[in-house]
Amino acid sequence: MKGLRVALPGGTLFESACDLLNAAGVARLDPTRFDRELSIRDGDNVYVKVRPTDVPVYVEMGGCECGIVGKDVLWESSRECYELADLGFGRCRLVLAAPRDSALARGAWPQALRVATKYPVSARRFFAARSLNVVVIRLHGSVELAPLTGLADCVLDITATGRTLAANNLVEIAEAGTSTARLIANHAALKTRNESVGALAVALRRAAAERITAGAA
Amino acid sequence: MTGLDALPPGASVRGRADGFADYLVGPAARRRQLADGFIETFEAWGYGFMVTPLIEPLDTIAAGVGGAQQSALFRFMDSDGALLALVGERTVSVARVVATQLHDGPFPLRLCYAGSVLRNQALNAGRRRESLQAGCELIGADGLAADAECIALAAAALERGGVEHIQVDVGHADFIPGLLDSAGLDATAREEVLAALARRDLVAVESALEGTDAADAERRLLLAFPTLRGGREILDTAAGGLRGERPQRALQELAQLWDLLEAHAITDRVHLDLGAVRDWDYYTGPTFEVFSVDSGFALGSGGRYDSLLSRFGAELPATGFVLHVDRCHDSIVRRAGAAAEPAMVQVSWAHDAYPRALELSRDLRRRGVACACDLAAGGDGDVQVSTTGVEWAHLELDARAGIDAAVAALAARTP
Repeated sequence: MKGLRVALPGGTLFESACDLLNAAGVARLDPTRFDRELSIRDGDNVYVKVRPTDVPVYVEMGGCECGIVGKDVLWESSRECYELADLGFGRCRLVLAAPRDSALARGAWPQALRVATKYPVSARRFFAARSLNVVVIRLHGSVELAPLTGLADCVLDITATGRTLAANNLVEIAEAGTSTARLIANHAALKTRNESVGALAVALRRAAAERITAGAA
Repeated sequence: MTGLDALPPGASVRGRADGFADYLVGPAARRRQLADGFIETFEAWGYGFMVTPLIEPLDTIAAGVGGAQQSALFRFMDSDGALLALVGERTVSVARVVATQLHDGPFPLRLCYAGSVLRNQALNAGRRRESLQAGCELIGADGLAADAECIALAAAALERGGVEHIQVDVGHADFIPGLLDSAGLDATAREEVLAALARRDLVAVESALEGTDAADAERRLLLAFPTLRGGREILDTAAGGLRGERPQRALQELAQLWDLLEAHAITDRVHLDLGAVRDWDYYTGPTFEVFSVDSGFALGSGGRYDSLLSRFGAELPATGFVLHVDRCHDSIVRRAGAAAEPAMVQVSWAHDAYPRALELSRDLRRRGVACACDLAAGGDGDVQVSTTGVEWAHLELDARAGIDAAVAALAARTP
């Protein structure tokens, strides 16, 4: 067994992940091919497209030796994987946001707070440092609706441009973290397939650095 | 209504708790043979088999393992209100026994054990909550020869058990903390780097080192983290430019350990791994993990833990290791396929031949052939022996042809 199995995250990071693998000279992937096939062999490696939250599961359990996934997914995951490289793309921020006309938006923190979020683990950790009486309400989508309907006082959610927040009359109150795509690896694979995993990490780091330099120029 | 709809809400499905397993006849036998084989190898190396309880007071466990491990235990209350827990590993129990009952030696003590350990992990995560571990502890020996013996023994046991293509990664628990000491980092940065390493988050290690005044040689080593692996030659590469005494001493110990492993003739399966991430509060010297390409998890792990026994009142150096029997079993199944149900020899009889069938059964068992005798008449002949093997081959022979012929024929057909 020479090649690696690499888990790629479906969704917003997918095309950038394929682009970076191609730019690094590691693969020649056509993202649209994954519309028809979930698993594609390219050179020695096999690439599978899975839900982003499933990437750490595949990697921890040894279904894939490596994976590409957003840091925001790793915050929520209890899976134990090695995080080898920051790949730079897919940059977004996890922020606490509240309705523009709320007391919270004016900087007054209430005694009790209901927070709607798709990131309950991050929310608990964020508020653990701020001894507040917080109720975390886990939702699976369209978190912005929660304050509008009175379900929650504020949201803890990912934003890339801030447009969705603004469109829903929400303003940012605090930042909990910044997320970018990461290369992760299985514990045993890092040892037993060290050369292949190391080569992939080096190639992707270099390509990511070049992309950042090119973007800055 | 069918399927899920047919079950009233809250109905008991009489299932099994998540994370626990039933092993049916074939796999259960192979798993037991695997554990027995480990113990036999340990005993062949002079390690005495001992048994510790499945339950320990939480206080006892807390003296040995850190907070994260404690919170993953199944805990409950004794009738006097004291907190008990199902053990999550057994080294602490062995340490308790040695410190309280075997503290007069003679040292070194060589002890081995096998038993279930339990971890209360998340539901539906695909992780085992009960698993079988077999391990060795070598207590009262502070030299590197003791560490080398444990590494060689772990490898010998796994290979005898049929685990193929094993690879042992040997590290040192003092190397990275020592490196951080001599890098001249302030306490905050040092903690940050250690915490990031413990999370296996190398991106965070890098950003924690950014903007610090870590010396070049140390910074280079810390950033090269996953590539600090190889044979004896990496020790010289790593030593270049290092000033601190602590990391230097760790490298010297690894060099001596390597020579001892060469004497054990196993260096073709050993990598030195300076970036090994282990529990730095628990391990105090050389550490190791055993891998196989057939498993995404370490099959075994161990190391020197010189400070554990003192927490139970005995100042004794110690080293040891544990093998994860279930992961080893998984790895063998992945390579060789599932275990076949063992062939069963069946003795059937007709008319009034039950006494003769029982006599034949006794004779077969004396000769080492496992057999079951029918409970009611049913065969065609007087006494008949048949067996079902892997391919469900059916072998019938007339027992009157002689027991020796029957045993020979059965031995030929029984895998």
